Amino acid sequence: MQGIAIRTLIARRLAVVLLATMSVSAAGAAAESLDTEMEDVKKALLELKRDLVILEEDLLFPASSQVAVFLSMDLGEFFQLDAVTVKLNGKEVAHHLYTDKQVDALYRGGIQKLFIGNIKQGGNRITAFFTGRGPSGRDYRRATTVAFEKSFEPTFVELAISDSTAKYQPEFTSAVSN
Amino acid sequence: MNFGRWFTGLCIVLIAAEGFAVGLREEAPDFTLKSLEGSNLRLEEYRGQVVLINFWASWCGPCRQEMPVLDRLHHRYEDTGFAVLGVNVEGDPEMAREIVDKTHVTFPILLDDGQKVSELYSLEAMPSTVVIDRDGVIRYIHHGYKPGDEAKYVEVIKELIKE
Repeated sequence: MQGIAIRTLIARRLAVVLLATMSVSAAGAAAESLDTEMEDVKKALLELKRDLVILEEDLLFPASSQVAVFLSMDLGEFFQLDAVTVKLNGKEVAHHLYTDKQVDALYRGGIQKLFIGNIKQGGNRITAFFTGRGPSGRDYRRATTVAFEKSFEPTFVELAISDSTAKYQPEFTSAVSN
Repeated sequence: MNFGRWFTGLCIVLIAAEGFAVGLREEAPDFTLKSLEGSNLRLEEYRGQVVLINFWASWCGPCRQEMPVLDRLHHRYEDTGFAVLGVNVEGDPEMAREIVDKTHVTFPILLDDGQKVSELYSLEAMPSTVVIDRDGVIRYIHHGYKPGDEAKYVEVIKELIKE
């Protein structure tokens, strides 16, 4: 009788533990499912935001008239960038002052989108003015100009600042791609 | 007559408040300006700190009176994550330097060459003070200055530093 009572007690206790475990698992499963759902929602939100940005660009800057100007730096030992001004067909369209953090980001390989806008198809001209400190810490101001034909495809202009170790001077170049 | 004056005053206050394009609880418009020392400073790089932006001009008497007060606040609270930025709305380094030399302030003075930032913040009074919290949100705006106004600045700064 005592043995049966003990067995019953053990069985009852096992049942309680099992039920508790199951309910925790169920709660855990529910929580996990909620976490997964939230992650899915966050992911969908990010994708939606990305799509909206692209759509906005396509609407505001259609490919047939879009021109985008980017800036990159290579090394930068001979030039400490301070500011860049971009003129499109003689009209100033962008002016940017650079903080130390931003210059550091460019040194590390960052590419900055300086300007995005619309231009007419046909002949166009972009001039970029770079201001900063050159070799020996002297004030430095240089410009680079590129003329290009705007086609129906988006036009990308890359302005690059690099070091010319042969001349111990910075070089400012521009390249156009369609 | 009293009612007329009161009503006119209320209209002016409402219009002035409306004219301030940036409002409380809005994200402070970002900007980058050249400082008097020559470096470029960007507002967004102060994210994480409480920032007090003070717009001033060399011809403004209350501005010159207020600047040493702001300098004391800058020193008192800078170790707790607080920064003061002075924006000279004239953008003239010579005039700004003259005032800085007279007032001996040490917080960064930025030159709003072209008044672009002044337009961005739609200044309607001089001086104008804007306090921004650690998340880049405008939490307090103050027009003008008279001795004693700094008590309110201290109250706001302490509240935001604690957040």
